[in-house]
Amino acid sequence: MAELEIRNLHVRTEEREILRGVDLTVRTGELHALLGPNGSGKSTLANTIMGHPSYEVTEGQVLFDGAEITELAPHERAKLGLFLAFQYPVAVPGVSVANFLRMAINAQREEPIKVKEFGEQLGHAVELLDVDRSFTSRHLNDGFSGGEKKRAEILQMAMLQPQVAVLDETDSGLDIDALRTVAEGVAKLHAEQGLGALIITHYQRILDHVRPQFVHILMDGRIVMRGGPELVERLEREGYDPIREEVAARA
Amino acid sequence: MTQSAKKLQPVPKAARAPGAKAGSAPPATLNRALGGAGTERAPLAELRARAAGAYARLELPSWRRSGFWTTSLEDLDVEALEVRTHPTQTAEPAFLEGQRSAGVLVQRDGSVVHTELDPALAERGVLLCSLEQAAREHSELFERYYMRRLALDRHKLEAASAAFWSGGAFLYVPPGLQVPEPFQVVYEISAGGTAQYAHTLAIADRGSDLRLREYGLAELIAGDALHAGQFELYLEDGARCALAQLVDWGSGDVHDVSTSVVEVGRDAFCHWLPALLGGGLIHHHDELVIAGPGGDMAFRGLFFTEGEEHLDVFAVDLHETGPSGGDVHWRGAATGASRASFEGLIQINAGAQQSHTYLQFHSMLLSAEARLDAIPSVLVGADDVSASHGGTVGELDEGLIFYMQTRGLTRAQAVRVIVDGFFEPLIVQLNDEALEQLIRDRIGAKLASAASEIERYALAR
Repeated sequence: MAELEIRNLHVRTEEREILRGVDLTVRTGELHALLGPNGSGKSTLANTIMGHPSYEVTEGQVLFDGAEITELAPHERAKLGLFLAFQYPVAVPGVSVANFLRMAINAQREEPIKVKEFGEQLGHAVELLDVDRSFTSRHLNDGFSGGEKKRAEILQMAMLQPQVAVLDETDSGLDIDALRTVAEGVAKLHAEQGLGALIITHYQRILDHVRPQFVHILMDGRIVMRGGPELVERLEREGYDPIREEVAARA
Repeated sequence: MTQSAKKLQPVPKAARAPGAKAGSAPPATLNRALGGAGTERAPLAELRARAAGAYARLELPSWRRSGFWTTSLEDLDVEALEVRTHPTQTAEPAFLEGQRSAGVLVQRDGSVVHTELDPALAERGVLLCSLEQAAREHSELFERYYMRRLALDRHKLEAASAAFWSGGAFLYVPPGLQVPEPFQVVYEISAGGTAQYAHTLAIADRGSDLRLREYGLAELIAGDALHAGQFELYLEDGARCALAQLVDWGSGDVHDVSTSVVEVGRDAFCHWLPALLGGGLIHHHDELVIAGPGGDMAFRGLFFTEGEEHLDVFAVDLHETGPSGGDVHWRGAATGASRASFEGLIQINAGAQQSHTYLQFHSMLLSAEARLDAIPSVLVGADDVSASHGGTVGELDEGLIFYMQTRGLTRAQAVRVIVDGFFEPLIVQLNDEALEQLIRDRIGAKLASAASEIERYALAR
């Protein structure tokens, strides 16, 4: 049982302050959704959780299992069991999906993984995500379609078996079939491996396929509303404007 | 005035770009294609004497171009270097153990210390021996080809090589013979204070097919050393050769000033890949000449400089006749405070109609202090041809590094993946696991030693 805790997080880039006091806790086995309009700071939160060097934490903390990780390098966070599925996965030229996965798995272990064990894990993950095995011999994200990139993200997640994953708009740019595959992949990893996930999205489609227990709404760098699945339904009906007005009235 | 400036010749009329006025200034580079100038036939002793005269007459070279670039050997105390000799040995170099070879020749400093040739190939007429021995025992072949396309007096160190070479390598593959295993020629420098004057002459006779490797290797040595090398390979009609040259003089002060020429005859083909992976100062003139109609080639090359290394490559793709094909693709990376310059010249002579060639160079800078310069040029003297060049200038992609880090790779591992990926399109073309691994390992070692500089560079941006 692991726990990612974000405490009063303030983050800025060179240009401006983006997050202005975010509190959020995600435990293994929990599914959280973070919704918010464009520019609310969702991707900043995702990148800061993984330690992207362009984002400066000016106040607050990121903790994993109670230990502060705010200053840890990204690869050290990965080793603790954090994972980020990218909104825009980048191509890794010259490295096949399988070789990259082996490198990533070995980076987290003392002894390199045995060929047979790796093959079995890969076979299982490929089946889970409904991709062709030949997919794993292609260069990672190099010339991949949008849908293939997102599948490759979930495939990596399945292989690396994180405790808590952040999915940064994994649903954007996907057709309905790819969306279903990706969502079902997340749901299965949640069911099979007890994955905890923070699903970041600015629209609700993916939440038709993965039912989050906790829903948070991020606006202008703060979480302005929390609730359960009913909040997603409300958003779907009303959009962000009524929520924005409600928050303004409260203030 | 520098020696090379004195030797500067006007651009031959045939090589002038269309529209260029006679008498107009040559391009702002002092490098010139050898252009088949060659050295006229004469007995070896006379050629050596002529070269020795040039050596005595000439100053140490300095190649200067506009901008920051100067390659100077003026400070090298060449008289203080000695040519060391060594007894022969039976053991082959450790890095070749376990590899299948058609033949191996090893020269340590001034002596050929090891020669072996597959007896079955010897029976079929293959010759592999020291060049000294070839001059004595295979004089007809030797005289027909020796220095046919090489010059002996463009600069002092070229003259020194032509005058003083000892040992040397000679390879002859007779007509029609296909040899799948590689021939391996190794030049080692064993200690500082050494001058190595090297000369390889290889001949692929009509319709033969071979693989040739030439290595230039040294461990870390103390003090100055010199490798002044000449390499010539002749592919007769229809011959095919995969040629790879691996140069890694280690991190000592080895000065490597070498010229290599490959002549591709009618319907012949050469795949040539120099991999320049270490040396205090490297100045290479690598020239690939299509000399017969139907000749074709793939000219690949890679380099990686680190620390204080200085590398200056002049790669020439020369078409003397058409129809002919060419495809030049080099990649270079630089870290530390190293300096690297790649100058690529496509030259299509008058009458070489239906020649089609392309030159591309891709670079990657891995530190703030490193400099990497690319100078492509095209001289075309025929009208029914295509010749063009392109390239990219790359830096480390921080987004890609972050991506890999989130998967658990350290920054250094991520950089390694990127740099490997940068060179991989060329390395895989060697089609030889042992050699590929040797090159990958060397690139990995260079990255490891430069890790902190690369990190600093990234953080400074």
